[in-house]
Amino acid sequence: MNPPFRLVAMVATTIMLAACTGQGAGSSPTAPAVATATAGTPTVVPTAAPATAITGGLLDKILKAKKLVVSTDPAYPPQSEIQKDGTYKGFDIDVANEIAKRLGVTVQWETPAWEAITAGGWGGRWDISVGSMTITPDRLKVVTFSVPYYYTPAQMAASTKSRITTLDGLAGKTVCVGESTTYYQWLTGTLDFGPSAGGKPPAAPAGVKAVTLPTDRDCAVQWQSGRHDFEGWLSSDTTVAQAIKDGLPLVKVGNPVYSEPLAVATDKSGPDPSDFLTWLDTQIAALHADGTLSALSVKWFGADITKDPSKT
Amino acid sequence: MIQYGTQQPGVESAGIGPVVDALGRARRRASLRFTLLFVLTWIILVGGLGLAIASTGNVHLEFIAEYAPFFLGGVPMTIFVSVVSIFFAVIFALIGALGRISIIAPIYAIATLYVSIVRGTPLIVQIFFIYSALPQFGIVLPALVAGIFALSFNYGAYMTEIFRAGIQAIPRSQLEAASALGMSDWQRMRRIVLPQAVRIVIPAIGNEFIAMIKDSALVSFVGLQELFWRTRTVGSAQFRSFETLLFAAIVYWLLTIVFSLFQERLERRMAASDRRV
Repeated sequence: MNPPFRLVAMVATTIMLAACTGQGAGSSPTAPAVATATAGTPTVVPTAAPATAITGGLLDKILKAKKLVVSTDPAYPPQSEIQKDGTYKGFDIDVANEIAKRLGVTVQWETPAWEAITAGGWGGRWDISVGSMTITPDRLKVVTFSVPYYYTPAQMAASTKSRITTLDGLAGKTVCVGESTTYYQWLTGTLDFGPSAGGKPPAAPAGVKAVTLPTDRDCAVQWQSGRHDFEGWLSSDTTVAQAIKDGLPLVKVGNPVYSEPLAVATDKSGPDPSDFLTWLDTQIAALHADGTLSALSVKWFGADITKDPSKT
Repeated sequence: MIQYGTQQPGVESAGIGPVVDALGRARRRASLRFTLLFVLTWIILVGGLGLAIASTGNVHLEFIAEYAPFFLGGVPMTIFVSVVSIFFAVIFALIGALGRISIIAPIYAIATLYVSIVRGTPLIVQIFFIYSALPQFGIVLPALVAGIFALSFNYGAYMTEIFRAGIQAIPRSQLEAASALGMSDWQRMRRIVLPQAVRIVIPAIGNEFIAMIKDSALVSFVGLQELFWRTRTVGSAQFRSFETLLFAAIVYWLLTIVFSLFQERLERRMAASDRRV
């Protein structure tokens, strides 16, 4: 190869390398701290909104952007469901909107895969998850939780075709669960809520095997479509009830196996969430006290499941 | 790629004119019958499949009608992601191909490593890596950028080899002839190699684009609300996977048919000089 062409090849390769690294260089993970952070905003702020925020923290970021970016998995009614006009509805959606309202900002939704939410390392793509996430010590390594906003019992179900009616009947059988769920952890014996929240729940039926699909409801969808690779399905009581209501071929098996506290999550690797969570915890307590959460729970689940079962 | 003797000897000779005409008529009749049988077979197959699906009683047409506008709302995103990705893939491929024919060892090594790594790992792993793993290095790409980058980076590697083959398909003798005429390296690349190489690779780019339309469904995993994301999410939430997946499949199929027609036309145009009379 002669020199001019060699030069072209060299320039081309340099551009390729630059393109590879340049993509990232432009977008550093978090916005750098700005000195003029929280000069009192002159706009109308609801009384619930926090007065001050840590510069460069999560609250600061949300208030500056005037929007709360919330991740949701809209394949999960009645918690979150996409509608035909592209908007969302559900219990989690209402809760997130209520939080945003009290912050005086609007909600922007992001819809990544569920395991991208539970894995942490959000890189600022969304601020919080209002996605019925169970508080577990494992997840605490990557996310920071608010206080629980409600509690769902985990309910085992079996396909009508399997004729299984008791929890013990699932011993040695296969149970389907969503990916990265506490249900999977329970089946594999690794679920632990930590010493402050009740420790390990009772053990799963002996010899039970777990298979996973992207979302909880995908399991029930398999039964509906005539696929019976598994006999059981473990999901939240609300999801199982909804599936039965929708006419799917399954029955509840036994009493709820454990109850899990569900909370708002923030990213540990993101902007400092401490002031946001302090504010949010008082708001969630207020939402519990004034009956807002109970009303939403009745609206979406037909029952109030916002009370801490360990205190009743 | 070089044409000599493409003219069929004797065609213009007046002596066998009538014979050629008769042959032509027979050939046209046969080809018409072939086309008719082709269309008939398709109607039977597709119609039969449609009837079989309808007879299961699982297809709720009113549900599809209700959500069709929402599903189709994802098509612009599907096409946008595909078009932008193929554009950047061409750039990656051009650079990669120049690297792959370079005689400078490090450049050749980098280009070869690029092709090897990308072709040696699943596309879905690359998408998740770029979306979920890169943030740990402080590189946070928004979902749209991550999806497009993953697709173009991946397709760029496959197309690198197509481009390289296109460039190397130009016979050495032509380069030697160009040199003999006193052309510089750059001149013979620009005047002799590239115009012919482009004609060789453009139909292949069309092919890759059609494959890209289908692979763009993979970016649904990073939450881009394109066609597949919309059908999958609604299907899962409403327990209507059958209708929604069927709908997605048909739309992707129609999309690829439309673009295949474009591509065939382009291919014919590009091959105009190759055609035998």
